[in-house]
Amino acid sequence: MSPIAIEADSPPQSRTFMRRFAGAPLPWIMPVIVVIGIFYLYPVIDVFRLSFTNATLIGENQQYTFGSIANALSSPQLPDILWATLIFVGGSVIGQQILGLAVAVTVIRGEKRGLFGTTILRTTALVAWVVPGIAGGIIWQMLFSEAPYGALNSILRLMHMPTVAWLSDPAMAPWSTLISNIWRGTAFSMVVMYAALKSIDPSLYEAAEVDGATASQQFFFVTLPQLRAAILVNMILITIQTVNTFDAIITLTGGGPGRATEVISLYVFNIVFRNYDLSGGSVLSVLMLIISLGLAFVYASFLPKEEEQ
Amino acid sequence: MKSATVSALALSTILFSASAIFAQELATKDRIGTADAAKTLVVRLTNDSPNNSDPAIAEGYQKLFVDFIKKHPDWKMQMQFMSSDIGTEQAKMLEQAKAGNAPDCAAVDSFVLSQFMVNKVLADFTPYFSKEEVDDLFPFIRSGITDKDQTIRAWWWDTDLRVLYRNKSIVADAPQTWDDLKKAAIASTKEGMEGVLFNGGRWEGTTFDWLANYWALGGKLVDDSGKPVFGEGENKEKFLKALNYFKDLVDSGAAPKRVTTIANYDDMNAAAAAATTALFIGGNWQYAQLKSTLDEEEFKNWTFSPIPGPTADQKSTGTGGWTIASFSKDKEKIEMCANLARDVYMGPANALQQQLPTRKSLFDKYEVFSTEANKTFANALVDGQARPGVPIYPEISNQIQIMMGDVLSGTKKPEEALDAAFSAAMEAYKRL
Repeated sequence: MSPIAIEADSPPQSRTFMRRFAGAPLPWIMPVIVVIGIFYLYPVIDVFRLSFTNATLIGENQQYTFGSIANALSSPQLPDILWATLIFVGGSVIGQQILGLAVAVTVIRGEKRGLFGTTILRTTALVAWVVPGIAGGIIWQMLFSEAPYGALNSILRLMHMPTVAWLSDPAMAPWSTLISNIWRGTAFSMVVMYAALKSIDPSLYEAAEVDGATASQQFFFVTLPQLRAAILVNMILITIQTVNTFDAIITLTGGGPGRATEVISLYVFNIVFRNYDLSGGSVLSVLMLIISLGLAFVYASFLPKEEEQ
Repeated sequence: MKSATVSALALSTILFSASAIFAQELATKDRIGTADAAKTLVVRLTNDSPNNSDPAIAEGYQKLFVDFIKKHPDWKMQMQFMSSDIGTEQAKMLEQAKAGNAPDCAAVDSFVLSQFMVNKVLADFTPYFSKEEVDDLFPFIRSGITDKDQTIRAWWWDTDLRVLYRNKSIVADAPQTWDDLKKAAIASTKEGMEGVLFNGGRWEGTTFDWLANYWALGGKLVDDSGKPVFGEGENKEKFLKALNYFKDLVDSGAAPKRVTTIANYDDMNAAAAAATTALFIGGNWQYAQLKSTLDEEEFKNWTFSPIPGPTADQKSTGTGGWTIASFSKDKEKIEMCANLARDVYMGPANALQQQLPTRKSLFDKYEVFSTEANKTFANALVDGQARPGVPIYPEISNQIQIMMGDVLSGTKKPEEALDAAFSAAMEAYKRL
């Protein structure tokens, strides 16, 4: 039944009520505002509030103080945690971006030439994306296992190459966690890049060909500039996703050896659920929010303006 | 019209019968007892329940629960199950208990019981257990469940302990001392083994397994008030000695460097099954797992002995286990929860899962505990030591896990790592 029909069927009083709010959006979006407010905004506000307290999971006397902020930010562990996070997030952004673009370009080219297997390639990449983080962690744990029967080291042994201390060497472990995260996130980048590549006007390539541009010149002077917005949006999304990732790391290394792979999200988890320190965890959650927002604004400032588009 | 009336009657009869049958079903995935029972007990359990992944154990528990509820026909139990991330589950439950939303009856890990006690969220179990039952408990169990005012706050129904497993065909004699273990492990590497395996990754098992060595020296983690003391005075010396012992095992090649990645007892089972190790430190429950994993001939080679100490006379082993406690304020629910602990868990569940009972007399009552292996485990409980029941323990454990990774991987020197761990634990203690 159309809205007009509903109005026609409604009694006059109800019709007056609906007309009164016809031009006012607020009553119509109020249910959404209430739901978002209760389930999204309230927890965020509560995290901000808790960061100004000394709240713990045990202890009764909650008081408002700046002490928790000072304690959390002056913690001697924080620089190491931030460094591990920087490697993990920075490496993931670069790795996922490059590999996602490479897979997307391969798939597009394959489709254009009608090659067999492009759909299989696209689907295979997507499988990694739908695997839950914890399952992904377990898969990579088996691959990186340094036991005599560990998968990757067994392959290296077959090839008469030296084995690698994938997870037990504090210098190597961050790179191993990075590889597993890039594997997982590449498909997402591929989807974004694939959609962006599809939307590039083919006449641009035709004009480039007429001008005698080589394939690499077409890529650097047509494809990449056209993908600028998609690349920046993708960077924002990968950054936010990776800053919040901890499920794959907790399964793969638990943050170890020592603190070698303890990124900020895992650190917050440990502070709240091992140390029962709600206020400390809240301060660091706010810090995570600031880092994510800050980086998002930096990326967004490079987005092409409307007139450029 | 007539046929429509007949159809409607038939349909309503079918629907009524279906709901009646459903109401009479005593066990569903999330309910034990009839759906129309007047009283409800919300119960949250681990896999020590009908939710166990082993079908035989799950079925055994289901039978125990159904038999129990038949004795209490007015009641139904609404079942909730925890994930395997126990630390997080227990922390969440503590938060719920403080907010008054915890289940009526739940499994509480013995090593975090004190956190619940400090917050005064546990009901009083004292009236529901006899003096004989309480006196029959092992001393460390009794003190673990008793509050400062001598009130019983939970019922600790099973315990476990750590031992040294060895393949007799490679390591014939049980190592008695730290030196013996190092020599045996190095000798095993000459026969193509990895050496001795133990937990060294970021999880509770790393701290718990290593603590046996520190306790064997007489070291203490906290003082009587619950303040960390492991980084001061004599305790610091003992701590460094036990830490250097593990470092030496790795540096000498008696243990592989990969121990810093072991964060699961299953890794040790896997190594035993793959015949790549002849020695590992594990839990008593792994004996049954080895039996089911290895073929009969191979299993005959495996045995266990107490964890070696610095000398043959200085021995210790970590003991853990689970309790049942009530968060309810309703006396009927508290009593029902205590009944569940007594009738299902205190004995029958121990026998079902072959998990060590916490009462001496139960070792004689159930035949499964009369095996040579279980008798040896029971005797080893004499050296058993529980983790300190203080609120700061989880953070001390977290710091020891970090320290162990740093030391065994060579990132930090033992004393430097210990000082960092102690300083972080003290900082956390001040905030609690």
